[in-house]
Amino acid sequence: MTAIPDLVGRRAVILHRPDDGTQRLVRQLGLLGLNAHVQWAPLDLQATPADIVLVDADQGWPGLLPWSGRPASVPLVALLQSEAPGRVAWAIAEGALAILPKPVAPSAVYPALVLAVTAHARAVETAVRMERLEERLRMRPLVHAAVRAIERAARCDEEAAYAALRRAAMKRRITIEQTAAEMLAGVIPLSEAG
Amino acid sequence: MADTVKVGVLFSCTGPYAAIGRDCRDGAALAFEEAARGDGGAVSFVPVHADPEGEPRAYLEQARAMLREAGCRHIIGTITSLARKEVIPLVEKHDGLLWYICPYEGFEANENVIYTGPCPNQHLMPLFDHLLPRQGRRVYLIGANYVWGWEMNRIARDLLRDAGGEVVGERYLPIDETDVGRLIADIRHHRPDFILNNLIGPSSHAFLRAYRALGDADPAFRPEVRPVVSCDLTEAEIGEIGLGLSTGHLAAASYFGTLATPENERFRARAAAAFGPDHRLSAFVEGAYVAVHMLMDAVRSAGSDEPAAVRAAVHARLFETPHGPMRIDPRTNHAALPFHLGRIRDDGNFDIIASRPAIAADPYMTAPRDGGRSSLRVVS
Repeated sequence: MTAIPDLVGRRAVILHRPDDGTQRLVRQLGLLGLNAHVQWAPLDLQATPADIVLVDADQGWPGLLPWSGRPASVPLVALLQSEAPGRVAWAIAEGALAILPKPVAPSAVYPALVLAVTAHARAVETAVRMERLEERLRMRPLVHAAVRAIERAARCDEEAAYAALRRAAMKRRITIEQTAAEMLAGVIPLSEAG
Repeated sequence: MADTVKVGVLFSCTGPYAAIGRDCRDGAALAFEEAARGDGGAVSFVPVHADPEGEPRAYLEQARAMLREAGCRHIIGTITSLARKEVIPLVEKHDGLLWYICPYEGFEANENVIYTGPCPNQHLMPLFDHLLPRQGRRVYLIGANYVWGWEMNRIARDLLRDAGGEVVGERYLPIDETDVGRLIADIRHHRPDFILNNLIGPSSHAFLRAYRALGDADPAFRPEVRPVVSCDLTEAEIGEIGLGLSTGHLAAASYFGTLATPENERFRARAAAAFGPDHRLSAFVEGAYVAVHMLMDAVRSAGSDEPAAVRAAVHARLFETPHGPMRIDPRTNHAALPFHLGRIRDDGNFDIIASRPAIAADPYMTAPRDGGRSSLRVVS
Protein backbone atom coordinates (compact mmCIF):
# COMPACT_ATOMS: atom_id res chain seq x y z
CA MET A 1 0.00 0.00 0.00
CA THR A 2 1.08 3.55 -0.67
CA ALA A 3 2.54 5.31 2.33
CA ILE A 4 0.79 8.61 3.04
CA PRO A 5 3.40 11.36 3.30
CA ASP A 6 3.60 13.41 6.46
CA LEU A 7 2.95 17.05 5.57
CA VAL A 8 3.43 18.52 9.05
CA GLY A 9 6.13 21.16 9.21
CA ARG A 10 6.60 21.41 5.46
CA ARG A 11 7.02 24.85 3.96
CA ALA A 12 4.54 25.76 1.22
CA VAL A 13 4.96 28.71 -1.11
CA ILE A 14 1.85 29.99 -2.92
CA LEU A 15 2.69 31.92 -6.09
CA HIS A 16 -0.53 33.87 -6.59
CA ARG A 17 -1.82 37.43 -6.24
CA PRO A 18 -2.98 37.71 -2.62
CA ASP A 19 -6.80 37.59 -2.47
CA ASP A 20 -9.63 35.92 -0.53
CA GLY A 21 -8.76 32.62 -2.18
CA THR A 22 -5.12 32.66 -1.06
CA GLN A 23 -6.28 33.53 2.46
CA ARG A 24 -8.51 30.47 2.51
CA LEU A 25 -5.65 28.39 1.14
CA VAL A 26 -3.18 29.64 3.78
CA ARG A 27 -5.71 28.85 6.51
CA GLN A 28 -6.28 25.32 5.21
CA LEU A 29 -2.55 24.65 4.78
CA GLY A 30 -2.09 25.83 8.38
CA LEU A 31 -4.70 23.33 9.56
CA LEU A 32 -2.78 20.61 7.73
CA GLY A 33 0.38 21.57 9.60
CA LEU A 34 2.19 23.44 6.82
CA ASN A 35 3.66 26.92 6.98
CA ALA A 36 2.47 28.87 3.95
CA HIS A 37 3.87 31.98 2.37
CA VAL A 38 2.16 33.93 -0.44
CA GLN A 39 4.06 35.91 -3.07
CA TRP A 40 3.37 37.07 -6.62
CA ALA A 41 6.90 37.31 -7.93
CA PRO A 42 9.42 34.83 -9.35
CA LEU A 43 10.44 32.26 -6.75
CA ASP A 44 14.06 32.10 -5.58
CA LEU A 45 14.46 28.90 -3.58
CA GLN A 46 17.65 30.20 -1.93
CA ALA A 47 15.83 33.20 -0.46
CA THR A 48 12.51 31.41 0.06
CA PRO A 49 13.03 27.70 0.72
CA ALA A 50 9.99 25.58 -0.14
CA ASP A 51 9.02 21.94 0.22
CA ILE A 52 5.85 22.35 -1.84
CA VAL A 53 4.90 25.04 -4.36
CA LEU A 54 1.35 25.97 -5.38
CA VAL A 55 1.28 28.15 -8.50
CA ASP A 56 -1.42 30.22 -10.24
CA ALA A 57 -1.61 28.42 -13.58
CA ASP A 58 -4.16 30.94 -14.93
CA GLN A 59 -1.68 33.82 -14.76
CA GLY A 60 1.71 32.11 -14.40
CA TRP A 61 4.45 32.82 -16.93
CA PRO A 62 7.68 31.03 -17.90
CA GLY A 63 10.30 32.15 -15.40
CA LEU A 64 7.93 32.39 -12.41
CA LEU A 65 9.24 29.05 -11.17
CA PRO A 66 12.98 28.67 -10.60
CA TRP A 67 13.30 25.40 -12.52
CA SER A 68 11.66 26.60 -15.76
CA GLY A 69 12.48 24.07 -18.46
CA ARG A 70 14.05 21.54 -16.06
CA PRO A 71 12.38 18.96 -13.78
CA ALA A 72 10.69 20.54 -10.75
CA SER A 73 12.88 20.27 -7.67
CA VAL A 74 9.89 20.18 -5.27
CA PRO A 75 6.28 18.96 -5.62
CA LEU A 76 4.19 21.41 -7.65
CA VAL A 77 0.41 21.93 -7.49
CA ALA A 78 -1.36 24.01 -10.17
CA LEU A 79 -4.09 26.40 -9.00
CA LEU A 80 -6.35 26.49 -12.04
CA GLN A 81 -9.65 28.03 -13.00
CA SER A 82 -9.20 28.33 -16.76
CA GLU A 83 -10.03 25.42 -19.05
CA ALA A 84 -7.81 26.81 -21.79
CA PRO A 85 -5.54 24.03 -23.12
CA GLY A 86 -2.62 26.45 -23.21
CA ARG A 87 -2.89 26.96 -19.46
CA VAL A 88 -3.11 23.23 -18.71
CA ALA A 89 -0.09 22.70 -20.97
CA TRP A 90 1.82 25.42 -19.09
CA ALA A 91 1.10 23.70 -15.77
CA ILE A 92 2.30 20.36 -17.16
CA ALA A 93 5.42 21.93 -18.67
CA GLU A 94 6.32 23.48 -15.31
CA GLY A 95 5.98 20.07 -13.65
CA ALA A 96 2.59 20.25 -11.92
CA LEU A 97 1.62 16.87 -10.48
CA ALA A 98 -1.83 17.82 -9.19
CA ILE A 99 -4.46 20.44 -9.99
CA LEU A 100 -6.35 22.35 -7.32
CA PRO A 101 -9.39 24.01 -8.95
CA LYS A 102 -10.18 27.63 -8.14
CA PRO A 103 -12.05 28.89 -6.22
CA VAL A 104 -10.30 26.60 -3.75
CA ALA A 105 -12.55 24.25 -1.81
CA PRO A 106 -10.77 23.51 1.50
CA SER A 107 -11.64 19.82 1.17
CA ALA A 108 -9.67 19.58 -2.08
CA VAL A 109 -6.37 20.83 -0.63
CA TYR A 110 -5.17 17.77 1.31
CA PRO A 111 -5.76 15.19 -1.48
CA ALA A 112 -4.01 17.43 -4.01
CA LEU A 113 -0.97 17.88 -1.72
CA VAL A 114 -0.71 14.14 -0.99
CA LEU A 115 -0.95 13.33 -4.69
CA ALA A 116 1.70 15.87 -5.65
CA VAL A 117 4.11 14.89 -2.86
CA THR A 118 3.74 11.16 -3.58
CA ALA A 119 4.06 11.58 -7.33
CA HIS A 120 7.13 13.78 -6.87
CA ALA A 121 8.80 11.22 -4.58
CA ARG A 122 8.13 8.51 -7.17
CA ALA A 123 9.49 10.66 -9.96
CA VAL A 124 12.69 11.32 -7.99
CA GLU A 125 13.07 7.60 -7.21
CA THR A 126 12.52 6.68 -10.85
CA ALA A 127 15.04 9.28 -11.99
CA VAL A 128 17.69 7.87 -9.61
CA ARG A 129 17.03 4.32 -10.82
CA MET A 130 17.18 5.44 -14.43
CA GLU A 131 20.49 7.13 -13.85
CA ARG A 132 21.90 3.98 -12.27
CA LEU A 133 20.71 1.82 -15.16
CA GLU A 134 22.07 4.23 -17.73
CA GLU A 135 25.40 4.18 -15.95
CA ARG A 136 25.46 0.38 -16.06
CA LEU A 137 24.53 0.45 -19.73
CA ARG A 138 27.41 2.78 -20.42
CA MET A 139 29.81 0.41 -18.58
CA ARG A 140 28.63 -2.66 -20.48
CA PRO A 141 31.50 -2.66 -23.02
CA LEU A 142 33.98 -2.67 -20.10
CA VAL A 143 32.34 -5.80 -18.68
CA HIS A 144 32.65 -7.51 -22.06
CA ALA A 145 36.27 -6.49 -22.37
CA ALA A 146 37.07 -7.73 -18.85
CA VAL A 147 35.36 -11.08 -19.50
CA ARG A 148 37.42 -11.55 -22.68
CA ALA A 149 40.62 -10.64 -20.81
CA ILE A 150 39.83 -13.21 -18.08
CA GLU A 151 39.07 -15.84 -20.76
CA ARG A 152 42.49 -15.31 -22.27
CA ALA A 153 44.38 -15.15 -18.94
CA ALA A 154 42.66 -18.12 -17.32
CA ARG A 155 42.06 -20.07 -20.57
CA CYS A 156 38.42 -20.61 -19.68
CA ASP A 157 35.13 -20.08 -21.48
CA GLU A 158 32.97 -17.00 -21.32
CA GLU A 159 30.61 -18.36 -18.69
CA ALA A 160 33.42 -19.22 -16.29
CA ALA A 161 35.10 -15.84 -16.91
CA TYR A 162 31.87 -14.00 -16.10
CA ALA A 163 31.40 -16.07 -12.92
CA ALA A 164 34.95 -15.21 -11.88
CA LEU A 165 34.32 -11.53 -12.46
CA ARG A 166 31.16 -11.70 -10.32
CA ARG A 167 33.03 -13.42 -7.49
CA ALA A 168 35.68 -10.71 -7.52
CA ALA A 169 32.98 -8.04 -7.38
CA MET A 170 31.15 -9.72 -4.52
CA LYS A 171 34.37 -10.15 -2.56
CA ARG A 172 35.01 -6.40 -2.81
CA ARG A 173 31.34 -5.43 -2.43
CA ILE A 174 31.46 -3.27 -5.54
CA THR A 175 29.52 -3.54 -8.80
CA ILE A 176 30.56 -5.85 -11.63
CA GLU A 177 31.02 -2.79 -13.84
CA GLN A 178 33.39 -1.17 -11.38
CA THR A 179 35.34 -4.44 -10.93
CA ALA A 180 35.66 -4.77 -14.70
CA ALA A 181 36.93 -1.21 -15.00
CA GLU A 182 39.49 -1.72 -12.24
CA MET A 183 40.69 -5.00 -13.74
CA LEU A 184 41.19 -3.43 -17.13
CA ALA A 185 43.01 -0.54 -15.47
CA GLY A 186 45.28 -2.98 -13.68
CA VAL A 187 44.10 -2.02 -10.18
CA ILE A 188 42.78 -5.55 -9.63
CA PRO A 189 45.06 -8.28 -11.07
CA LEU A 190 43.43 -10.52 -13.68
CA SER A 191 44.93 -13.53 -11.92
CA GLU A 192 42.67 -12.89 -8.95
CA ALA A 193 39.61 -13.50 -11.09
CA GLY A 194 41.11 -16.72 -12.39
CA MET B 1 -44.06 36.22 -10.61
CA ALA B 2 -42.62 39.31 -9.01
CA ASP B 3 -43.75 42.49 -10.76
CA THR B 4 -40.21 43.81 -10.76
CA VAL B 5 -37.17 41.92 -11.99
CA LYS B 6 -33.79 43.36 -11.10
CA VAL B 7 -30.95 42.78 -13.53
CA GLY B 8 -27.31 43.45 -12.64
CA VAL B 9 -25.39 45.44 -15.27
CA LEU B 10 -21.69 44.95 -14.58
CA PHE B 11 -19.40 46.69 -17.05
CA SER B 12 -16.20 48.67 -16.51
CA CYS B 13 -16.92 52.11 -17.95
CA THR B 14 -13.69 53.57 -16.64
CA GLY B 15 -10.24 51.95 -16.76
CA PRO B 16 -8.22 50.55 -19.65
CA TYR B 17 -11.06 49.03 -21.70
CA ALA B 18 -13.68 51.63 -20.76
CA ALA B 19 -14.74 52.35 -24.36
CA ILE B 20 -16.00 48.77 -24.67
CA GLY B 21 -17.73 48.94 -21.29
CA ARG B 22 -19.53 52.16 -22.20
CA ASP B 23 -20.87 50.60 -25.42
CA CYS B 24 -22.09 47.57 -23.46
CA ARG B 25 -23.76 49.77 -20.86
CA ASP B 26 -25.39 51.92 -23.57
CA GLY B 27 -26.74 48.92 -25.45
CA ALA B 28 -28.21 47.45 -22.27
CA ALA B 29 -29.70 50.84 -21.29
CA LEU B 30 -31.41 51.20 -24.68
CA ALA B 31 -33.08 47.80 -24.30
CA PHE B 32 -34.27 48.60 -20.77
CA GLU B 33 -35.64 51.96 -21.96
CA GLU B 34 -37.51 50.35 -24.83
CA ALA B 35 -39.07 47.85 -22.42
CA ALA B 36 -40.05 50.63 -20.00
CA ARG B 37 -41.64 52.65 -22.82
CA GLY B 38 -43.54 49.74 -24.33
CA ASP B 39 -46.46 48.04 -22.62
CA GLY B 40 -43.99 45.32 -21.55
CA GLY B 41 -46.73 43.26 -19.91
CA ALA B 42 -47.00 42.80 -16.19
CA VAL B 43 -43.27 42.76 -15.47
CA SER B 44 -40.98 45.73 -15.16
CA PHE B 45 -37.24 45.31 -15.42
CA VAL B 46 -34.92 47.43 -13.31
CA PRO B 47 -31.20 47.59 -14.11
CA VAL B 48 -28.82 47.62 -11.14
CA HIS B 49 -25.61 49.29 -12.33
CA ALA B 50 -22.06 48.90 -11.06
CA ASP B 51 -18.69 49.93 -12.50
CA PRO B 52 -15.75 47.74 -11.39
CA GLU B 53 -13.28 50.00 -13.25
CA GLY B 54 -11.40 46.97 -14.56
CA GLU B 55 -10.46 45.71 -11.05
CA PRO B 56 -10.94 41.94 -10.60
CA ARG B 57 -11.66 42.32 -6.88
CA ALA B 58 -14.34 44.96 -7.58
CA TYR B 59 -16.08 42.60 -10.01
CA LEU B 60 -16.31 40.05 -7.21
CA GLU B 61 -17.60 42.51 -4.60
CA GLN B 62 -20.11 44.19 -6.89
CA ALA B 63 -21.44 40.92 -8.31
CA ARG B 64 -21.82 39.64 -4.75
CA ALA B 65 -23.77 42.77 -3.79
CA MET B 66 -26.04 42.35 -6.83
CA LEU B 67 -26.78 38.72 -6.01
CA ARG B 68 -27.00 38.96 -2.22
CA GLU B 69 -28.23 42.43 -1.46
CA ALA B 70 -29.96 43.81 -4.55
CA GLY B 71 -31.84 40.58 -5.27
CA CYS B 72 -30.60 40.14 -8.85
CA ARG B 73 -30.73 36.62 -10.28
CA HIS B 74 -29.35 37.75 -13.63
CA ILE B 75 -26.19 39.69 -14.35
CA ILE B 76 -25.24 40.95 -17.77
CA GLY B 77 -21.61 41.78 -17.87
CA THR B 78 -17.89 41.25 -17.60
CA ILE B 79 -15.68 41.88 -20.60
CA THR B 80 -12.37 40.11 -19.97
CA SER B 81 -12.12 36.40 -19.24
CA LEU B 82 -10.32 37.28 -16.02
CA ALA B 83 -13.42 39.13 -14.79
CA ARG B 84 -15.82 36.48 -16.07
CA LYS B 85 -13.90 33.77 -14.22
CA GLU B 86 -14.07 35.87 -11.04
CA VAL B 87 -17.84 36.21 -11.24
CA ILE B 88 -18.84 32.70 -12.38
CA PRO B 89 -18.28 30.90 -9.04
CA LEU B 90 -20.54 33.45 -7.31
CA VAL B 91 -23.23 33.11 -9.95
CA GLU B 92 -23.04 29.32 -9.57
CA LYS B 93 -23.23 29.56 -5.80
CA HIS B 94 -26.37 31.72 -5.94
CA ASP B 95 -27.76 29.75 -8.88
CA GLY B 96 -28.03 32.83 -11.05
CA LEU B 97 -27.38 33.40 -14.73
CA LEU B 98 -24.53 35.43 -16.19
CA TRP B 99 -25.14 36.91 -19.65
CA TYR B 100 -21.76 37.22 -21.34
CA ILE B 101 -21.77 39.10 -24.64
CA CYS B 102 -18.11 39.54 -25.60
CA PRO B 103 -15.88 37.66 -28.02
CA TYR B 104 -13.65 35.32 -26.04
CA GLU B 105 -11.10 32.52 -26.46
CA GLY B 106 -13.48 29.58 -25.85
CA PHE B 107 -12.89 26.48 -23.70
CA GLU B 108 -15.81 27.09 -21.40
CA ALA B 109 -19.49 26.11 -21.40
CA ASN B 110 -20.90 26.83 -17.98
CA GLU B 111 -24.52 25.94 -17.16
CA ASN B 112 -24.95 29.28 -15.39
CA VAL B 113 -23.72 31.41 -18.29
CA ILE B 114 -25.45 32.37 -21.55
CA TYR B 115 -22.75 33.20 -24.12
CA THR B 116 -23.90 35.54 -26.89
CA GLY B 117 -20.45 36.60 -28.12
CA PRO B 118 -18.36 34.56 -30.57
CA CYS B 119 -15.72 31.97 -29.63
CA PRO B 120 -12.76 30.95 -31.90
CA ASN B 121 -14.67 28.72 -34.33
CA GLN B 122 -16.88 31.76 -34.93
CA HIS B 123 -14.16 34.41 -35.22
CA LEU B 124 -10.56 33.21 -35.58
CA MET B 125 -11.20 30.07 -37.64
CA PRO B 126 -13.40 31.68 -40.34
CA LEU B 127 -11.01 34.65 -40.32
CA PHE B 128 -8.05 32.40 -41.15
CA ASP B 129 -10.15 30.40 -43.65
CA HIS B 130 -10.74 33.63 -45.51
CA LEU B 131 -7.41 35.34 -45.06
CA LEU B 132 -4.69 32.67 -45.38
CA PRO B 133 -5.38 31.84 -49.06
CA ARG B 134 -5.68 35.53 -49.99
CA GLN B 135 -3.19 37.34 -47.79
CA GLY B 136 -0.52 34.71 -47.14
CA ARG B 137 0.50 32.31 -44.41
CA ARG B 138 3.44 34.05 -42.74
CA VAL B 139 1.82 35.57 -39.67
CA TYR B 140 3.15 37.67 -36.79
CA LEU B 141 1.19 37.06 -33.55
CA ILE B 142 0.84 39.74 -30.89
CA GLY B 143 -1.27 39.55 -27.76
CA ALA B 144 -2.17 40.84 -24.34
CA ASN B 145 -0.21 39.22 -21.55
CA TYR B 146 -3.12 37.19 -20.16
CA VAL B 147 -5.36 34.31 -21.20
CA TRP B 148 -7.03 36.06 -24.19
CA GLY B 149 -3.72 36.81 -25.88
CA TRP B 150 -2.02 33.55 -24.87
CA GLU B 151 -4.88 31.29 -25.89
CA MET B 152 -5.85 33.09 -29.11
CA ASN B 153 -2.26 32.89 -30.29
CA ARG B 154 -1.97 29.25 -29.26
CA ILE B 155 -5.02 28.45 -31.40
CA ALA B 156 -3.58 30.57 -34.22
CA ARG B 157 -0.31 28.57 -34.03
CA ASP B 158 -2.30 25.32 -34.29
CA LEU B 159 -4.35 26.58 -37.23
CA LEU B 160 -1.23 27.82 -39.02
CA ARG B 161 0.60 24.55 -38.47
CA ASP B 162 -2.34 22.61 -39.93
CA ALA B 163 -2.56 25.04 -42.87
CA GLY B 164 1.14 24.86 -43.66
CA GLY B 165 1.65 28.42 -42.47
CA GLU B 166 4.40 29.96 -40.40
CA VAL B 167 4.50 31.99 -37.18
CA VAL B 168 7.24 34.50 -37.98
CA GLY B 169 7.09 36.22 -34.58
CA GLU B 170 5.16 36.22 -31.33
CA ARG B 171 5.13 38.99 -28.70
CA TYR B 172 3.09 39.81 -25.62
CA LEU B 173 2.43 43.16 -23.95
CA PRO B 174 0.63 44.12 -20.72
CA ILE B 175 -2.70 45.91 -21.35
CA ASP B 176 -1.26 49.26 -20.22
CA GLU B 177 2.07 49.00 -22.09
CA THR B 178 2.30 51.68 -24.77
CA ASP B 179 6.02 51.40 -25.55
CA VAL B 180 5.77 49.42 -28.79
CA GLY B 181 9.01 50.51 -30.50
CA ARG B 182 10.77 47.13 -30.28
CA LEU B 183 7.67 45.30 -31.44
CA ILE B 184 7.35 47.56 -34.48
CA ALA B 185 11.06 47.10 -35.27
CA ASP B 186 10.73 43.32 -35.05
CA ILE B 187 7.71 43.32 -37.38
CA ARG B 188 9.60 45.54 -39.82
CA HIS B 189 12.47 43.06 -39.76
CA HIS B 190 10.30 39.96 -40.31
CA ARG B 191 7.90 41.41 -42.92
CA PRO B 192 4.93 39.08 -42.17
CA ASP B 193 2.01 38.68 -44.58
CA PHE B 194 -0.25 40.05 -41.84
CA ILE B 195 -0.32 40.67 -38.10
CA LEU B 196 -2.84 38.96 -35.82
CA ASN B 197 -3.55 41.51 -33.09
CA ASN B 198 -4.78 40.09 -29.78
CA LEU B 199 -3.64 43.09 -27.77
CA ILE B 200 -6.19 44.85 -25.58
CA GLY B 201 -6.89 48.49 -24.71
CA PRO B 202 -4.09 51.08 -24.59
CA SER B 203 -1.39 48.71 -25.88
CA SER B 204 -3.51 47.83 -28.92
CA HIS B 205 -4.24 51.51 -29.64
CA ALA B 206 -0.57 52.47 -29.26
CA PHE B 207 0.44 49.63 -31.56
CA LEU B 208 -2.01 50.62 -34.30
CA ARG B 209 -0.85 54.26 -34.13
CA ALA B 210 2.80 53.24 -34.34
CA TYR B 211 2.09 50.83 -37.18
CA ARG B 212 0.42 53.67 -39.07
CA ALA B 213 3.61 55.72 -38.66
CA LEU B 214 5.63 52.75 -39.95
CA GLY B 215 3.34 52.51 -43.00
CA ASP B 216 3.79 56.23 -43.65
CA ALA B 217 7.56 55.80 -43.57
CA ASP B 218 7.68 52.51 -45.50
CA PRO B 219 4.86 51.70 -47.96
CA ALA B 220 5.54 47.95 -47.51
CA PHE B 221 3.70 48.27 -44.20
CA ARG B 222 0.58 49.99 -45.43
CA PRO B 223 -2.68 48.19 -44.52
CA GLU B 224 -3.36 47.09 -48.10
CA VAL B 225 0.00 45.27 -48.12
CA ARG B 226 0.38 43.93 -44.56
CA PRO B 227 -2.84 44.49 -42.60
CA VAL B 228 -3.34 44.20 -38.84
CA VAL B 229 -6.21 41.81 -38.14
CA SER B 230 -8.16 41.60 -34.87
CA CYS B 231 -11.02 39.55 -33.43
CA ASP B 232 -12.14 42.10 -30.85
CA LEU B 233 -11.53 45.51 -32.42
CA THR B 234 -14.82 47.31 -33.04
CA GLU B 235 -16.30 50.74 -33.76
CA ALA B 236 -16.12 51.31 -29.97
CA GLU B 237 -12.34 51.78 -30.03
CA ILE B 238 -11.57 53.39 -33.39
CA GLY B 239 -11.99 56.84 -31.86
CA GLU B 240 -9.56 55.95 -29.04
CA ILE B 241 -6.91 55.08 -31.61
CA GLY B 242 -7.62 58.31 -33.46
CA LEU B 243 -10.03 58.53 -36.41
CA GLY B 244 -8.30 57.66 -39.65
CA LEU B 245 -5.19 56.17 -38.01
CA SER B 246 -6.33 52.54 -38.28
CA THR B 247 -8.07 52.90 -41.64
CA GLY B 248 -7.69 49.87 -43.91
CA HIS B 249 -7.00 47.30 -41.17
CA LEU B 250 -9.32 44.34 -40.65
CA ALA B 251 -11.46 42.90 -37.88
CA ALA B 252 -13.77 39.93 -37.46
CA ALA B 253 -17.13 40.39 -35.69
CA SER B 254 -20.63 38.96 -35.59
CA TYR B 255 -22.03 42.47 -36.09
CA PHE B 256 -20.94 45.76 -37.65
CA GLY B 257 -22.95 48.97 -37.48
CA THR B 258 -22.93 49.20 -41.28
CA LEU B 259 -24.68 45.84 -41.74
CA ALA B 260 -27.24 46.48 -44.49
CA THR B 261 -30.31 44.51 -43.45
CA PRO B 262 -33.85 45.69 -42.66
CA GLU B 263 -33.41 44.49 -39.04
CA ASN B 264 -30.28 46.57 -38.63
CA GLU B 265 -31.88 49.61 -40.33
CA ARG B 266 -34.56 49.52 -37.65
CA PHE B 267 -31.96 49.15 -34.89
CA ARG B 268 -29.91 52.02 -36.32
CA ALA B 269 -32.96 54.28 -36.29
CA ARG B 270 -33.69 53.46 -32.64
CA ALA B 271 -30.05 53.89 -31.65
CA ALA B 272 -29.82 57.19 -33.52
CA ALA B 273 -32.81 58.48 -31.56
CA ALA B 274 -31.16 57.44 -28.29
CA PHE B 275 -27.46 58.23 -28.87
CA GLY B 276 -27.53 60.77 -31.72
CA PRO B 277 -27.21 60.20 -35.48
CA ASP B 278 -23.38 60.09 -35.56
CA HIS B 279 -22.90 57.50 -32.83
CA ARG B 280 -21.04 54.50 -34.25
CA LEU B 281 -22.67 51.16 -33.39
CA SER B 282 -20.45 48.24 -32.40
CA ALA B 283 -20.95 44.55 -31.67
CA PHE B 284 -20.76 45.55 -27.98
CA VAL B 285 -23.71 47.99 -28.16
CA GLU B 286 -25.69 45.55 -30.25
CA GLY B 287 -24.64 42.53 -28.17
CA ALA B 288 -25.76 44.05 -24.87
CA TYR B 289 -28.97 45.33 -26.47
CA VAL B 290 -29.74 41.86 -27.85
CA ALA B 291 -28.88 40.06 -24.61
CA VAL B 292 -31.08 42.30 -22.45
CA HIS B 293 -34.01 41.92 -24.84
CA MET B 294 -33.46 38.17 -24.94
CA LEU B 295 -33.36 38.06 -21.14
CA MET B 296 -36.58 40.06 -20.84
CA ASP B 297 -38.38 38.00 -23.51
CA ALA B 298 -37.29 34.78 -21.84
CA VAL B 299 -38.43 35.94 -18.39
CA ARG B 300 -41.83 36.91 -19.83
CA SER B 301 -42.31 33.62 -21.64
CA ALA B 302 -41.06 31.59 -18.67
CA GLY B 303 -43.40 33.51 -16.38
CA SER B 304 -40.54 33.70 -13.86
CA ASP B 305 -37.03 35.02 -13.43
CA GLU B 306 -35.99 31.66 -11.97
CA PRO B 307 -32.73 30.89 -13.84
CA ALA B 308 -33.52 27.29 -14.85
CA ALA B 309 -36.89 28.35 -16.31
CA VAL B 310 -35.32 31.33 -18.08
CA ARG B 311 -32.56 29.15 -19.51
CA ALA B 312 -35.15 26.67 -20.84
CA ALA B 313 -37.07 29.57 -22.42
CA VAL B 314 -33.88 30.84 -24.02
CA HIS B 315 -33.12 27.42 -25.50
CA ALA B 316 -36.65 27.01 -26.85
CA ARG B 317 -36.79 30.11 -29.02
CA LEU B 318 -35.40 31.87 -32.02
CA PHE B 319 -34.68 35.54 -31.22
CA GLU B 320 -34.92 38.34 -33.77
CA THR B 321 -31.84 40.56 -33.53
CA PRO B 322 -30.22 43.33 -35.61
CA HIS B 323 -27.69 40.74 -36.89
CA GLY B 324 -30.44 38.28 -37.85
CA PRO B 325 -32.33 35.48 -36.10
CA MET B 326 -30.33 34.01 -33.23
CA ARG B 327 -30.56 30.67 -31.44
CA ILE B 328 -28.82 29.53 -28.24
CA ASP B 329 -27.58 25.94 -28.35
CA PRO B 330 -28.92 24.03 -25.29
CA ARG B 331 -25.80 21.85 -25.31
CA THR B 332 -23.27 24.69 -24.96
CA ASN B 333 -25.38 27.72 -23.91
CA HIS B 334 -23.62 29.56 -26.76
CA ALA B 335 -25.26 31.58 -29.55
CA ALA B 336 -24.93 30.58 -33.19
CA LEU B 337 -23.46 33.70 -34.82
CA PRO B 338 -22.71 35.00 -38.30
CA PHE B 339 -19.14 35.89 -39.24
CA HIS B 340 -18.30 39.21 -40.85
CA LEU B 341 -14.92 40.55 -41.87
CA GLY B 342 -14.77 44.33 -41.79
CA ARG B 343 -12.28 46.86 -43.10
CA ILE B 344 -11.90 50.04 -41.07
CA ARG B 345 -12.96 53.28 -42.78
CA ASP B 346 -11.85 56.84 -42.14
CA ASP B 347 -15.12 57.58 -40.35
CA GLY B 348 -14.52 54.77 -37.82
CA ASN B 349 -17.10 52.43 -39.31
CA PHE B 350 -16.32 49.20 -41.17
CA ASP B 351 -16.90 48.10 -44.75
CA ILE B 352 -18.00 44.48 -44.64
CA ILE B 353 -15.82 42.61 -47.14
CA ALA B 354 -16.74 38.98 -46.38
CA SER B 355 -19.53 37.22 -44.49
CA ARG B 356 -20.71 33.77 -43.51
CA PRO B 357 -24.17 32.85 -42.22
CA ALA B 358 -24.63 31.81 -38.57
CA ILE B 359 -22.06 29.28 -37.35
CA ALA B 360 -22.92 27.03 -34.37
CA ALA B 361 -20.52 27.60 -31.49
CA ASP B 362 -17.98 24.85 -30.80
CA PRO B 363 -16.37 26.24 -27.64
CA TYR B 364 -14.03 23.27 -27.10
CA MET B 365 -13.19 23.06 -30.82
CA THR B 366 -14.01 19.37 -30.99
CA ALA B 367 -15.38 19.36 -34.54
CA PRO B 368 -13.04 17.75 -37.06
CA ARG B 369 -11.20 20.25 -39.20
CA ASP B 370 -9.56 19.95 -42.59
CA GLY B 371 -7.01 17.23 -42.08
CA GLY B 372 -9.41 15.39 -39.78
CA ARG B 373 -8.09 16.49 -36.42
CA SER B 374 -9.85 18.40 -33.69
CA SER B 375 -7.87 20.99 -31.84
CA LEU B 376 -8.65 19.82 -28.30
CA ARG B 377 -5.12 18.72 -27.68
CA VAL B 378 -3.49 19.65 -24.43
CA VAL B 379 0.13 19.81 -25.43
CA SER B 380 0.76 21.70 -28.60
